[in-house]
Amino acid sequence: MYNSVDELQAALNQQDYIAERGLSVAIYLALKTGKPLFLEGDAGVGKTEIAKVLSAALGSDLIRLQCYEGLDVNTAVYEWNYAGQILHLRLMETEGLAREEMESEIFSERFLLKRPLLQAIEQSADGLAPVLLIDELDRSDEEFEAFLLELLSEFQISIPELGTISASVPPIVVVTSNRTREIHDALKRRCLYYWIDYPHFHKELQIVERKAPDVPRMLARQITAFIQDMRSLELFKRPGIAETLDWTAALIALDQNELSLETVQDTLGVILKYQDDVEMLDPTTIQNMIDRAKVEAQRA
Amino acid sequence: MNMSENGPPIKGLYLGPADAPYDYNGGKLTHNLLLFGRVCRALGMNVTPNRMMEAGRALAHIQLGRKQDFYYTLRAHLVNHRKEFAYFDEAFDLFWRRPSEGFTTLNLQSLGEERRKKQTQFLPPLEASPSENGAEAESLDSSMIALMPTYSRQERLRHKDFAEMSAEELEMAKRVIARMPDSLGMRRTRRFANGQGRQINMRRLLKDMIRKRGDVTRLPTHRRKEKPRPVVLLCDISGSMERYTRVLLHFMHTLAGSLYQVESFVYSTDITRITRQIQQKNVDDALEDIGGTVLQWGGGTMTGECLRRFNWTWSRRVLGRGAVVILITDGWDRGDIPLLHREMARLQLSCRRLIWLNPLLDVPEYEPLTRGAQALLPYVHDFLPITNLANLEVIVKALQNLTSRPSAEAYRARYLA
Repeated sequence: MYNSVDELQAALNQQDYIAERGLSVAIYLALKTGKPLFLEGDAGVGKTEIAKVLSAALGSDLIRLQCYEGLDVNTAVYEWNYAGQILHLRLMETEGLAREEMESEIFSERFLLKRPLLQAIEQSADGLAPVLLIDELDRSDEEFEAFLLELLSEFQISIPELGTISASVPPIVVVTSNRTREIHDALKRRCLYYWIDYPHFHKELQIVERKAPDVPRMLARQITAFIQDMRSLELFKRPGIAETLDWTAALIALDQNELSLETVQDTLGVILKYQDDVEMLDPTTIQNMIDRAKVEAQRA
Repeated sequence: MNMSENGPPIKGLYLGPADAPYDYNGGKLTHNLLLFGRVCRALGMNVTPNRMMEAGRALAHIQLGRKQDFYYTLRAHLVNHRKEFAYFDEAFDLFWRRPSEGFTTLNLQSLGEERRKKQTQFLPPLEASPSENGAEAESLDSSMIALMPTYSRQERLRHKDFAEMSAEELEMAKRVIARMPDSLGMRRTRRFANGQGRQINMRRLLKDMIRKRGDVTRLPTHRRKEKPRPVVLLCDISGSMERYTRVLLHFMHTLAGSLYQVESFVYSTDITRITRQIQQKNVDDALEDIGGTVLQWGGGTMTGECLRRFNWTWSRRVLGRGAVVILITDGWDRGDIPLLHREMARLQLSCRRLIWLNPLLDVPEYEPLTRGAQALLPYVHDFLPITNLANLEVIVKALQNLTSRPSAEAYRARYLA
């Protein structure tokens, strides 16, 4: 484990994740105090990435639970293998066992399908806490949120047929939300909250250079300046870091050394995903943005 | 910082077991931390004693000398909404500064005031009175109005005062609530309930098999559960709607209290979310709160611009899960009409059902022929004209009569050019 925020930040850096100071502090505190980390921010700013990087840095497993509407205990925690149980039941019937015996045979770990939350709890019993990523919590419904509330405070799960399983070391929990619905205060209150914003120029440039080492230096600067400029426009969906990296990869694949009107127009679909946003950028606007980006790239 | 000498005595903060010593060189950190918590609470943040304790404990893990880390530690603990960052920053900067920087309690007291001022927004000059909705008003270049917060004598922020509810009104509200439909349509969720359905319930089947030793005569099934659809209310509070505003807010309050998941917004020249305010139990408190929050009472109507702001910043957050949108407006509009068309089209696509509740201005021969109304009509699923919006019961009746079939088609055939 890390002994200071700086140490943690260096470790994240080593995993190619450039974290702001505030985020590092939040993660550090989450590790130290055992509280879940609740991350919000626009799509594509690196919320999910945090959990991956953190597990890689700690050398522990990453267990991911993707939320969706209707997610319930059977898909999030555990489920019995019914087909297997029924088959086994048929076999046992021929042997004429007593009812209790059959039940204990059927409801044994052999037929238990472990879903992410149970896995996370069980693995922490070994000592090394895994990173549990609960992704896009806003997509689940209130019922699941309420269930999570209990789990996150107790870190134990009870299965009526088997008993209670509790974690000796609580997993490191990272919860993300895209805010398609407000998460209830009760849950947020139990977490450390951090809002991940779009990065400023230098940070984004660092990320681009780190993630795409073979990009020409000038191009990287121009790309970053262009995207930064684009975020100041009134778009329906502003491009995130993920889009910046995709675009960089696209421009490298097209063997570009600098931005030009033609290539930007051709590759706009990599950055903008709404027709309204694409329409907003007519050739003159794009040309102006390219010119500004070039000046900015020279200056930086 | 020694405002504590004058203030009321504050009990010491318990910061955990003795094996985690909190000796900050005998300083007054705990004390000041508590005071800071109070400031945050005064600013409306949800700072509980429990959170303060956790923040205090967390401080043991960081280097207190680094102000930045100190800041982020407190922020992660005390703030849990993005919009509170600005208040927090302000409070933090004012509170945690060197005493030599001229700190006074006065600054802290004024913090609460500044929060209100933050929401200052300019109203367009009201050259034409809102009731004049003739060609003159419509020909105004509204985009200019939006871009020019020029000074005019009439330009001022208005705080609305709502009189308290009379006994008669309370009585009516009760009647209305009793007759309020339970929901404005249901949607199937992805959860299952036991009972008649098509899918086989494996969990139950297994239990049955064990109980009956394999002789199952009937396959247990389950079906998808249903839930009421979320509702979004968009209410016009511009000048032409002014006489109905109070009763409409009552209506919204009633809906917010009796339906499932209601999000409320009011708009005229700008759009404001009032969901939190309107959810207060007491209607008078709710209205008073709204009167203080919303600052564009009785301005001109710029529906297009407001809907654009709604679509851009709110739709993704409140229109999920097949929401029903109720738009309450008379259709007078001084804004950008092509923009209104575009935004209505987008709004229609992103919700399950779009209902337009329209007061007919008490004029029997009123027809939705204004440019604004002509822009709204093509996109709504339901057009509910109401003869007298001053009466809550009439509005509720209109909603009760809402059938599963959209009702705007007939009106479109009649009124659209």
